[in-house]
Amino acid sequence: MAFVLSFLLRRLSQGLVIILLVGFVIFSLLRIIPGDPVRMMVGPMASEEQVEEIAAELGLRDPMVVQFGRYLFQLSQGDLGKSFIKNKSGASSAGGRESQGLDNKANVLDLIISTVPFSLQLAGLGIAFALLFSIPLGIAAGLRPSGIIAKIAFAISSIFVSLPNIWLAILLILVISTNLQWLPAIGYKGFSYTILPAIILAVELSAVIVRALSSSVTAIMQESYVQAGVVRGLSMGHMIRHHVLRNSSIPMLNLFGAQLGGLLLGSMFVVEYIFNYPGLGLLTINAVFQRDFPVIQGVAIITTAVLVLINIIVDLISAGIDRRLQY
Amino acid sequence: MTTTRRSFLKKSAAITGVAASSSLLSPFIRTASAGQSSNSVVFASGEPLTGNWDPTSHTILGQINFEGYVFGRLTQTPMRAEDPSAIEFELATSYKLIDENTLEYTLRQGVTFHNGAPFTAADVKATMEYSSQPGKSAWYPGQVDVHVVSDYVVRLDTSAYGYPASAYILLASFLPIMSAADVADGDALSQVPNGTGPFKFVEQRGDESVLVAFDDYYAGRPMLDEFRFAYMGDANTRVLALLGGEADIIERLEPEQHDTLLTKEGVRVNRTVSTENKYLHFRCNKAPFDDPRVRMAACNAIDRSIITEVMGAAGHASSSYVSPVKLGGGDIANYPTYDPENCQRLLAEAGFPGGQGLPEIEYITSTGFYPKTKEYGEVIAALMAEQGFNVKLTVLETAAWLERIYQPESGEPAGHMVDVGWATGSPEPDLVLRPMWHSSQSLITGIKDDELDAALDKEQAEGDAAKRLDIIADEFMPLMAEKVPSLSLFTSVLIHGVRENLEGAYFYANGPIDLSKASYT
Repeated sequence: MAFVLSFLLRRLSQGLVIILLVGFVIFSLLRIIPGDPVRMMVGPMASEEQVEEIAAELGLRDPMVVQFGRYLFQLSQGDLGKSFIKNKSGASSAGGRESQGLDNKANVLDLIISTVPFSLQLAGLGIAFALLFSIPLGIAAGLRPSGIIAKIAFAISSIFVSLPNIWLAILLILVISTNLQWLPAIGYKGFSYTILPAIILAVELSAVIVRALSSSVTAIMQESYVQAGVVRGLSMGHMIRHHVLRNSSIPMLNLFGAQLGGLLLGSMFVVEYIFNYPGLGLLTINAVFQRDFPVIQGVAIITTAVLVLINIIVDLISAGIDRRLQY
Repeated sequence: MTTTRRSFLKKSAAITGVAASSSLLSPFIRTASAGQSSNSVVFASGEPLTGNWDPTSHTILGQINFEGYVFGRLTQTPMRAEDPSAIEFELATSYKLIDENTLEYTLRQGVTFHNGAPFTAADVKATMEYSSQPGKSAWYPGQVDVHVVSDYVVRLDTSAYGYPASAYILLASFLPIMSAADVADGDALSQVPNGTGPFKFVEQRGDESVLVAFDDYYAGRPMLDEFRFAYMGDANTRVLALLGGEADIIERLEPEQHDTLLTKEGVRVNRTVSTENKYLHFRCNKAPFDDPRVRMAACNAIDRSIITEVMGAAGHASSSYVSPVKLGGGDIANYPTYDPENCQRLLAEAGFPGGQGLPEIEYITSTGFYPKTKEYGEVIAALMAEQGFNVKLTVLETAAWLERIYQPESGEPAGHMVDVGWATGSPEPDLVLRPMWHSSQSLITGIKDDELDAALDKEQAEGDAAKRLDIIADEFMPLMAEKVPSLSLFTSVLIHGVRENLEGAYFYANGPIDLSKASYT
């Protein structure tokens, strides 16, 4: 128990520093790159006077440190601010010269809360597909590293890791949705709209999981305790089920922590954009194009916090499985 | 053949298995007609709406398209190259120029707004006097007083503001008519779109605006029951949505996507020569393009035939400063052509032989907004480099590009050359000419030229339409081709992908689509 408490205290304080650092980097970068968010809000024909008036009202012309301090104060009260672009109705709105500031704009937290379930559904299904495919293949390849299954697994994971997800997504939409008309693809009108994008995510994940699992199983199989167990009368099946797979799961768990991060921050965002899938990724990519600073900052802070938490949980579980990691 | 108990059980199990698997899959398998299950059209827009429904509050093309479904206008102009001046009557039934400063409209009776209020002269007066205030709609030529002669007759009076009332003849086809009650209550105007158009706004579902057929539309209820205006930012996603049945009309296609859709069954492609010309604007208030010889040398370095080749289906060759579907859009005799020899002569004359001594020229263009800008930008940079210009091509995504295109109120403008298009909703040429090249505005080039100003003021003051066109064609355009504050590269072509069995849609040259008579066959 003492270990758990000191572990959590240490890792959570480290995590807080990471979140603040990431938050500051994103906050600063947004204000350095070209593209004035107020110009996006009020459109190209608005006068400079009007642009400056709204920018001052939003505090965008204050020194960056002042802006970040104000943001942290809001954040400490659970307030991620209001979107510059998204209305309360959920519609994107930009370019109106008579922009009424942020009166009718949506809270960033509400936008994130409304889109996260879609992303979780997509990520969950993607992981499920990936595990269904990768676990049997990875274990079989790991048990016989020079066998035909290992060669097939290596070839499949090489192909999967080389496929650009944008290209694969467009190809699958054309074949599965447009030509064969088996599954819907663009937008979201029900659960079936999650399947195709989840397959794209699964392809990317499977490539890594298959390789990691097969090499982990191979390494564990070469441990002396496996042979010792067999010599002492335990069947090889028993050794695999109860010892090899259990110990192979530790690197898998660590990998999973990192892969979930990849899912949230990488391919899932791209996949959601291509499929016009209304999750966190589509919200974020549109926010980047439209210079919706509060949304980008809010998503960055929350995803960083989630990643930090996932890694802490993964490390905690790993330590529970292999107690040597506690020392 | 005898049926044994064992074979019966086997067959039953097999049939049950097939039935069970198909019912399990049925939520995921969709029919081929998924996108056409109702009498509804989904339009995938490449641009979001502004969130403020007041038509005077923006110049955003996406919202102008949306307004086309909801609001009515006094007249409509089909804007085709065969007859750019053609006018069709909508909320007006006739017009008459009473004198130089007075234009009379007789209005259609029996028209109602979506909220049930009758359309009368009071609505025209409220709309025009509100919209023409300084700083309101960018499209009005100036302030106007509107006199209500009777419930269905109005007179537009420009005498107090010093320009001819005829300026409204073509503009009236573009200005959305609002309800007087909404204009009086500013909040209503911005919160709910209330027009006399064929479709009525009912709700906003995220990035989708839902409209339904307006039962009391003056020209008869549309055959389509529902119209949904959906924002889909990515061009590939829009194409896939059309092919997959999730959208019925898509816009802003790249030339390659046009070619791809031509080979697909179930969809067709509509090409419309637009009101938009694409310009290479020179910063005329900044060296070296403050010297007209250097501007002309740059124009002579550019072979526009290569650019139209790069544009493919999305470009239409033209040699004028306005589109051929607008008045005054005929080719200009002395329009600059590809002429390397003259380019070198002018560079030497300006003190830059072979381009020596010229500063680095920054050419600002965009990506993701117009088709192929980066690609033909590279062509222009290479052609100019061949003649000795040291061109640095800066390709910016929309937000950064928008920030840099206009002349700042103080200080130097960004870059030396900028790629920008200019689309307007009327055949009226002044909607392009004055904002671009009159000293009072000169939004991008920053040119201040007395001769150009004089020609523009002269044509605006001319009440006779034919004489006015002569002034534009014979005086203003040749001057422009001599002074070249900008080079018009080509006229844009609007490419729409449309479900094949959707018939009766009319595509306007500035983007809106009339679906009031459209239906699925």
